[in-house]
Amino acid sequence: MAAATSSPRTEQLSRLQRWGKTVRIIFESRVATVGLMMVLFWFLLGFISLVWTPYRPNFSDFEQNLRPNSTNWLGTDHLGRDILSRLMAGTQVILLKTRLPGDFPILGGKAIPGGVALWGVFGSLTLGSVLGLNAGYRSGWWDQIIMQLLDALIAFPQIVLYLVVIAALGQGDLVVILAITVTGAPGVARLVRSLTLDIKTRDYIRAAETRGESVWFIMFREILPNIRGPLLVDSMLRVGYAIFAIGTLGFLGIGLPPPDPDWGNMVNDARRNIFFNQWAVIPPSLAIATLVIGLNLFADGLREEINRYQK
Amino acid sequence: MKKLPVTPKEMEAIHPYIPEAFSKLEQGKISRREFLRLATLLGMHAGLATVIAACSSGGSNSSNNGNTVSNDNTSGQTTETTAPTTTSRIKRGGTWTCSMQLQLLDHPARLSWVEGANIVRQVCEYLTETGSDNITRPLLLDRWAASDDLLTWDLFLKRGIKFNNGDEFQADDVLFTFGEWLNEDIGSSMLGLLSYLDGTQSVEKIDDYQVRLHLNSPQVAVPENLFHYPAVILHRNFEGDIVRQPVGTGPFLLQEYAEAERAVFVRREDYWQNGEDGSPLPYLNQLIFVSTDKDAGVAALQSGQVDSLYDPRPGDWQALKDNPNLAVRSVGTAQSLILRMRVDLEPWNDNRVRTALKMCQDRARILQLAYFGEGDLSIDAHVAPIQPEYAEKPIPPYNPDGARALLEEYAAEKGISLPLRVTLATKNDQNEPEIAQTLKQLAEPAGFDITLDITEPNGYWARWTEVDLGITSWTHRPVAVMLLPLAYTREAIGNWNETRWVDDEFEAKLRQAQGTLDIEARRAIMSDIEDIMQERGPIGNSFWKSVWNITHRRFQNVQAHPTAYYLMADVWEDA
Repeated sequence: MAAATSSPRTEQLSRLQRWGKTVRIIFESRVATVGLMMVLFWFLLGFISLVWTPYRPNFSDFEQNLRPNSTNWLGTDHLGRDILSRLMAGTQVILLKTRLPGDFPILGGKAIPGGVALWGVFGSLTLGSVLGLNAGYRSGWWDQIIMQLLDALIAFPQIVLYLVVIAALGQGDLVVILAITVTGAPGVARLVRSLTLDIKTRDYIRAAETRGESVWFIMFREILPNIRGPLLVDSMLRVGYAIFAIGTLGFLGIGLPPPDPDWGNMVNDARRNIFFNQWAVIPPSLAIATLVIGLNLFADGLREEINRYQK
Repeated sequence: MKKLPVTPKEMEAIHPYIPEAFSKLEQGKISRREFLRLATLLGMHAGLATVIAACSSGGSNSSNNGNTVSNDNTSGQTTETTAPTTTSRIKRGGTWTCSMQLQLLDHPARLSWVEGANIVRQVCEYLTETGSDNITRPLLLDRWAASDDLLTWDLFLKRGIKFNNGDEFQADDVLFTFGEWLNEDIGSSMLGLLSYLDGTQSVEKIDDYQVRLHLNSPQVAVPENLFHYPAVILHRNFEGDIVRQPVGTGPFLLQEYAEAERAVFVRREDYWQNGEDGSPLPYLNQLIFVSTDKDAGVAALQSGQVDSLYDPRPGDWQALKDNPNLAVRSVGTAQSLILRMRVDLEPWNDNRVRTALKMCQDRARILQLAYFGEGDLSIDAHVAPIQPEYAEKPIPPYNPDGARALLEEYAAEKGISLPLRVTLATKNDQNEPEIAQTLKQLAEPAGFDITLDITEPNGYWARWTEVDLGITSWTHRPVAVMLLPLAYTREAIGNWNETRWVDDEFEAKLRQAQGTLDIEARRAIMSDIEDIMQERGPIGNSFWKSVWNITHRRFQNVQAHPTAYYLMADVWEDA
């Protein structure tokens, strides 16, 4: 009885303690710490770019194709734009904001928090989780139909799926988010399904069924919270894949529309001029690489620590 | 003035207007290049016209080949005219290798790309040839003659020319080829170009060496049209596939053609043209085209694996121009990246909005950022300085304040607020994205908010006539009256009139220009046409592109052609 009447203060503390414990888990892993620092560096740079960049990122204020110098620390691109400013602003699109098209209801032409990569991964997590939970928990025909469809999608090379989505819907942040969602969801669904098949045999699921809880309640309140650890790690990796995907689409010239900087576009533009300005290709390539490596290290470290604690 | 090889009477016998043209040349009213163009157009032999022009004391000497060669050690800034070759230096033999994409080839009349034409032109030839100097001369023709009303054109064929299968080139071959061009089932772009012919009944065989064209409207650009890239002359028994049946009158024989791989040509021993050493052309033994993408082509050229790169992009030029092994030749063209507006759609149906956007072009800045400054600034009309009828006009300045005033007037009338949101569509092919991004930046102070819709080339070509606002690349045409009817007339709606712009005064002037032989008179008409296009036309045009021919220095007689054509018959290797 005493336990049931514990004060809110005690509950708040325990939450804080739990949060602190999680942070400790991260910092106990050197790999996760390094990864987190790399990711935070880019987040920090992105936040700074929201209020300040050395120069206007979209304006041709300088001579073309300058090498790094005291004015332009990372040089200028083929249109005479400061590469450092564009690199900083490029972080926004990936991690911090999504631009909505002009004809979007209510918020048309505005930006919403959360970058394209994050929203894309969120979309694939949501769609993949719904499909995976249904396939894993309901089994039978549900499982057959959902998994056959997802297998068919997985059979396509991802780049083909991206091209199909963009060819059908055009360019834009939302289209890229949709493309990442569609291509990422099958992988998430497979993972969720396999975890669900394991979890659904547990006693507390039997108990919920005996209580007469609905299927949706069991899937989303009983199963989903118990698979969030592996899902979290997977989503970290997926953010990395999404950044690669955005970079690839930009490189192919079908990603986010110019002139707002996008690291993939920056690599592609620099590649076209690589024979006489080799430098310009390095900063955006390094940016993509370090952010993705950071996310991978963070996910790996986190997974190792979670496994250790579970044991 | 040196002694003329012909009297004015003899000139008049060729065409009554030639003596008058010569008199204008003497007075300095037209250049030697213009005289050459006019005299050959009126049927005078090109060689004779050149001699007469050389004898004249008047006219500027602009009759060189129009090419400039950059000095390898001076970043392409200093230029020198290509030195004439001397017979004693010419050497025979050798292989020339070029990086160029090789596409599917079948019927030459259906050619859609210059790359394919560059293959076919080594085997087959044209009735006329527009050189690097943008002057059209007879090639398989001995001469041509036009009636005073420009409604009847007589084409006189050279005698003694043989196809590579041994058959003699005759009027039947010309008639057969015209039949292919005018056959709707073939699907040749020549069909639209020759709209002044009412089918094959307009093409009459007079004898084995003379063909007469009966036009339904006056047309001054017939010789130029005969060098449109699909217009090679085919053998009368041609069955529809040039790779399987590579029969032509050209200087090389097709030995191998593998799409997207390579094409190999070997020298033809009995070609009809002789070189400067008195023996039949060509000088080279072998041509090899290797199909690579542009980046691989640049690397191959730098490492010496190929000797030339087809149609280098500005970035390629920038990368290669200082290479001491390469000669970089540049030539001005009428190629452009046109900013075009659909006048049947809002807001572009209002001339104030169109004018405002045109005023947002800082042409020198756009040229620098998009093309490294390698081109000629342009007015907002589709007539280039290299075209003979161009009337010089001042280049409009960048005027964002004036543009904003026009937009504010428009917005007040429509009850909308600035910025005016518009979408600019184009392709990421040449340097359109750079123009689009620069224009977006330049137009912001005027009150335009431009969203860019940049797709891969096929994505744009699938909708190029439909988008509201776009940047479309237009290739070179030797004369303006050849292009304007394709894009800015009522007849062209549904075809290449991508702006839907129709203007009665413009069309009347254009028809007048098409039927005006006198270059000065035509220029006066073109001056009005340019004014109309600038005042109320549907396009903005910041610059005319230069193009480059980048070839290894050991190859001589190479010329940069405004349409990136490879004319290889008299190229030789100084090994």
